Amino acid sequence: MVFNSLEFFIFLAIVFSLYWLVFKKSLKAQNLLLLFASYLFYGWWDWRFLSLILLSTTVDYIVGIKIDANEKKSIRKSWLWVSVFFNVGLLGFFKYYNFFVDSWVDMFSMFGYNMESTWTLRVILPVGISFYTFQTMSYSFDIYYRKLKPTRDFLSFAAFVSFFPQLVAGPIERASNLLKQITNKRKFSYNQTVSGLKLILWGLFKKVVIADSLGPIVDDVFANYANYPASTLILGVTLFSFQVYGDFSGYSDIAIGTAKLFGIELMSNFKFPNFSRNVAEYWQRWHVSLSTWFRHYVYIPLGGSRVSKLKSVRNIIIIFLVSGFWHGANWTFIFWGAFHALAFIPVFLLGRNTIYKNSVVGEHSIFPSLKEIGQVVLTFGIVTFSRIFFRSESITDAFAFIKIIISNFTYEVYQHPMGYRMIDYYILIILFVIYEYRIRKDERSPFKFKSKIVRFIAYTIIILFMLLFYDDNIDRSFIYFQF
Amino acid sequence: MKKLLFKTILYGFLILLVLEVAIRVFHLTKDYPSRYVDEFNVEKWVPNQAGVSVTGIRRQNFSEYKINSSGYNSYREFAPSDNKKEIALVGDSFIEGFHQHYYNSIGKKMENRLDSVEVYEFGYAGYDFADQLHLIHAYEDMFDKIDYVVLGLKFENDLTRGEYSVIQDRMHLETPLYNSIRKIKLIVYAQNSGLFDPVMNAIGRMSALFKEKPNKTVKEKTKEDIQKTHLIYIENFKSLIKKYGYDKKRFVLLLDSNITPPIFLEYLNNNNYKYIDFYNALNKSKTPTTLIYDRHWNNHGRHLIANYLTKQLETL
Repeated sequence: MVFNSLEFFIFLAIVFSLYWLVFKKSLKAQNLLLLFASYLFYGWWDWRFLSLILLSTTVDYIVGIKIDANEKKSIRKSWLWVSVFFNVGLLGFFKYYNFFVDSWVDMFSMFGYNMESTWTLRVILPVGISFYTFQTMSYSFDIYYRKLKPTRDFLSFAAFVSFFPQLVAGPIERASNLLKQITNKRKFSYNQTVSGLKLILWGLFKKVVIADSLGPIVDDVFANYANYPASTLILGVTLFSFQVYGDFSGYSDIAIGTAKLFGIELMSNFKFPNFSRNVAEYWQRWHVSLSTWFRHYVYIPLGGSRVSKLKSVRNIIIIFLVSGFWHGANWTFIFWGAFHALAFIPVFLLGRNTIYKNSVVGEHSIFPSLKEIGQVVLTFGIVTFSRIFFRSESITDAFAFIKIIISNFTYEVYQHPMGYRMIDYYILIILFVIYEYRIRKDERSPFKFKSKIVRFIAYTIIILFMLLFYDDNIDRSFIYFQF
Repeated sequence: MKKLLFKTILYGFLILLVLEVAIRVFHLTKDYPSRYVDEFNVEKWVPNQAGVSVTGIRRQNFSEYKINSSGYNSYREFAPSDNKKEIALVGDSFIEGFHQHYYNSIGKKMENRLDSVEVYEFGYAGYDFADQLHLIHAYEDMFDKIDYVVLGLKFENDLTRGEYSVIQDRMHLETPLYNSIRKIKLIVYAQNSGLFDPVMNAIGRMSALFKEKPNKTVKEKTKEDIQKTHLIYIENFKSLIKKYGYDKKRFVLLLDSNITPPIFLEYLNNNNYKYIDFYNALNKSKTPTTLIYDRHWNNHGRHLIANYLTKQLETL
């Protein structure tokens, strides 16, 4: 079941009604409903993989109790490793096994030994496995670091692991935020619900209007890059930047909005990353829940930035490589991570990695300064360039794509593969950037207008745009589901 | 909760209302002209109506239509007489031309090239050869005064029946329910953009659960099957001509030889049926001759067809 489908909205209306009208008096009943709804939501894709979620839930539930029950560091650590081995093992088997076998075979063939890749398996990647395994691991980590007490309420814990709004593509929540809310009584709040509905609307706009409508153009450019001039390749990767942002941040907004309908606040996952003034700021604004996870559970345990410069640089490289690898079992993602590490390190060495932490572009003015515009354009350019690796099918394709841009720059007018007017998309992107700039200070309030009439007009325009750009013939799945 | 429900319904209703207005103001979707069956059992558009035809979800193609007093989309009235020269174009949606402004039709383009000739376009979406001959027969007095009658013919589509009757499926679109739904432009727009498809598919899936599963094995057509079908179509052609008559001197078929089987072309040649083959005229063009979102002829395609028809008719 995907957020931008009819089934989801019927499902949501039923669960919402039962949650607040039938089960509102009992927290246990509400959590049971959430658990059942989450398993139904996930089982809609493939019910067989529910067993993996249940297994991951059970393992970390027991591990959490065991870690807390022991004072001895070595025993605590051993139990933590059980969680890490189990969850990383799941990921490794379903996501990376074939990659390692193929890479091993390729490596041998480089030295002249031809091996047949007979060990590869026909393994289907379970949707969202990278997200829920990281979430359950964070629970065990937090107990290990004594930041959290384990819960004895298995039902609540299972609801925390499988909470359907964020189950398949995040935000990757920490138990200290989400589990605490699940174990406490929720009260219906009109304002919270309306705020959730607004986020759902805004998320749908980003998904349906921005991401889905740009999808066919991006697919066409990347599939046929060898036949297109450099200008088209630049256009394609630029539009991919908007597509992936619309897709993933749209998903996150719908997830956060949906959680609000059940009285639960999830963490923000996107804070207008396209207006970042350097790469470090970009990573404070893009996929925040994953960046935070890596910072807390990998970067800081490695010493973070409190060690020597050289070791800090090493830690940065590790973080970005792991982050790239997390996205998928392909060298393209590892190159993408490495590229970001290379872009991040100079910012870090110049001590500018936290200077924009608490401010936004055009903080005290309506318009950004010329310097800020330059910074934003440069950062967007760097990030967009890195997406050539992210989007290409193979590393060879990525380098061939870049080669055309660098060595043979030619310009041609691009025609939409389905014959639509390209000007519609250019206007759309410009309006989208202007609107996002207007709301840049608060990612959780996309319709912050004082006047009710203006608000109403905004809702109507958003829905009108969704009608104008809705296309039933294109693939409407979310990009990040594959991770 | 009550407040939420009340406001959701209120806002929802107001938004739908504004969207309906926006779709009407910006002409984002097409108007549906009304159709009827006249006293001669001819299916046509209700005379004297006008509206707009729109293709694509963002109004990629927009044109106006005007149904004249004869029930066909044309800028002119059809009044043939013995002391004028007239040409009639009879055919389906390609002749009907809802995808063009009614003042920029194939007929008008032909008139611009021919001196003192009136071109009458008897186009109606879905007209096949049976419809065309029945129309000519029903309005015999009018057609007798017309100097040339061009009949558009797509072999695969237009000869599937050997006898005329009103197609009830099309007339079902004129029921009060359909008419009322079509008055709500938001519904028409959503339907055309495929927004209801998931709902319809879901209903289809649900109803399929309660139905017996049909045998899905579709037999691939063999060469013999195709030949057999072609022979049936040729028989249909003969039987329709036998019933309604066909003036070989004045009547000429308009066809694309590329999609017409050789056996039929041979039959036409052997029996002195005149035809105009527009395949080369369109195929030579380096620029597209059809609309992007639709397979109907665009302005350039219509221009080529009008030119070619004019030239060919001059030779007859």
